[in-house]
Amino acid sequence: MLHLAATLAGARVAWGHAHAGQPRVLNVANAERSEQADHAALITLVETIEALSATRTVEDVAAVVRSAARRMSGADGVCFVLRDGDQCWYLDEDAIGPMWKGQRFPMTACISGWAMLHGQTVVIPDIYADDRIPHDAYRPTFVKSLVMTPVRPQDPIAAIGAYWAVGQTPSPDTVIRLEAMARATAAAIENARLYASLNEALERRTFLLRELDHRVKNTLASVQSIARQTLRAAPSPADFTDSFESRLMGLSRAHELLTRQAWGRTDLRDVLETALQPFGGLADPRFTARGPAIALTPETAVALHMTLHELMVNAAKHGALTAASGQVTVVWRIEDVDGVPSLALDWVERGGPPVFVPKRQGFGTKLLERGVARDLGGEAKLTYQPKGLSYALRAPLSNRIAASATSRVPA
Amino acid sequence: MTQAQTAPQNAPRIMIVEDEALVALMVEDLLTDFGCQISGSFGAVDEALDYLENAGAPPPALDGAVLDVNVGGTMVFPVAERLRDAGIPFVFATGYGALPRKGFEDVVVLNKPIDPILLEDAVKRFRRAA
Repeated sequence: MLHLAATLAGARVAWGHAHAGQPRVLNVANAERSEQADHAALITLVETIEALSATRTVEDVAAVVRSAARRMSGADGVCFVLRDGDQCWYLDEDAIGPMWKGQRFPMTACISGWAMLHGQTVVIPDIYADDRIPHDAYRPTFVKSLVMTPVRPQDPIAAIGAYWAVGQTPSPDTVIRLEAMARATAAAIENARLYASLNEALERRTFLLRELDHRVKNTLASVQSIARQTLRAAPSPADFTDSFESRLMGLSRAHELLTRQAWGRTDLRDVLETALQPFGGLADPRFTARGPAIALTPETAVALHMTLHELMVNAAKHGALTAASGQVTVVWRIEDVDGVPSLALDWVERGGPPVFVPKRQGFGTKLLERGVARDLGGEAKLTYQPKGLSYALRAPLSNRIAASATSRVPA
Repeated sequence: MTQAQTAPQNAPRIMIVEDEALVALMVEDLLTDFGCQISGSFGAVDEALDYLENAGAPPPALDGAVLDVNVGGTMVFPVAERLRDAGIPFVFATGYGALPRKGFEDVVVLNKPIDPILLEDAVKRFRRAA
């Protein structure tokens, strides 16, 4: 501000001392004035570039641009416009009267949009004589003339506007200065965005490390639980090792599935397929699986996998899959349970050896009846009929378990 | 919730809030081994709050509680506040190394996987507090 003010004062002094009939003095004064103005403009530009290079956010960039652009153009107002998809976002302004700060307009309905869409500076001496201007938006403002220059013309990301309250044709010098500033601004905006994405990546890394720690400890707690409870029910060390390892492998496969889904939502059918995999999977003609796409959170997917794994191991060891003619049907659907939309999943075994109610409740049974059902606030029931075991899970839909938008063709 | 398990009449009554069923099943077993009675085992914060609301005349018939901290994405602190107001002792059990627990800095934290010896110590303190 200092340099331009000094230049203007100097210019006024030079004009004031010029006497009529002494054009030579006037010319010298003019030349000096113009040299001083160029000098001041150059200094301002350098200062602006320095200030821009120290910015870390787009808002900082906007703050530097709005004050510098006004100084360098001598305009009555300037604004800084960001491209936001197909909209122009009037992020910041510095002017003698209010303009459009904070507002958004379609790219096709404002002059900053025109400048960005065409990748070129536009100079408008009389806005009311130019039909690219949305006149209604300008009427409440002081603006009569303007220059709008795009930032990064080959692929515009923003625009800088300078406005005058008195109709005039802004000088070529003014246009060149604004364009030079727009070039410096392009680099600053790119830096700000890079800086933001770096910060985001760092924050994400810290978050992921914390999450990883949490998940590892929770998984270890699950393994601890499996170990203790498998040991309780094991008649011999060999039985313990068999059951424990089988459950550990099940847990491991569930985690593999989650990693494949990037710990996002997992489809129920994929969980079923993973649980059946070690026993021949759905390709085994003794299996029938039918149901709509259901999206599960990672935790629910692991819990359901443990459940299906227990059922599968039991079917292969004692149930329907010990017989060549055995059948396992897994059917799921969304149904109303007391007016609440719920997941209903049924595992039904037929054609195996006669089934008896077990004398004591082992870990497997506990896990089946209280595991995933408890997690989901639902209910699960094991039924031991002579013709075959069946398992019924009913759980209300929630943020953990949802009908999936991507419907898949049931098998 | 879980049905109360068979335990002596004067066995301490403990509530569990834990979203992972596997871990909950183990904590239930461990507490039963330590001579406690499981008065309720919940997988969600609102279920536990409902229970405290309806567990009878205040203070609820509880001698202690083992609380997971992040219960399915919801922080357990409202339950902890209710328990503290009712003068019921409790411990946290969590997989988070550094735990944000403003106002509960004095509460014992059991890290997961849970060390049974530390859990038993906590139960002994519940007994003394009773």
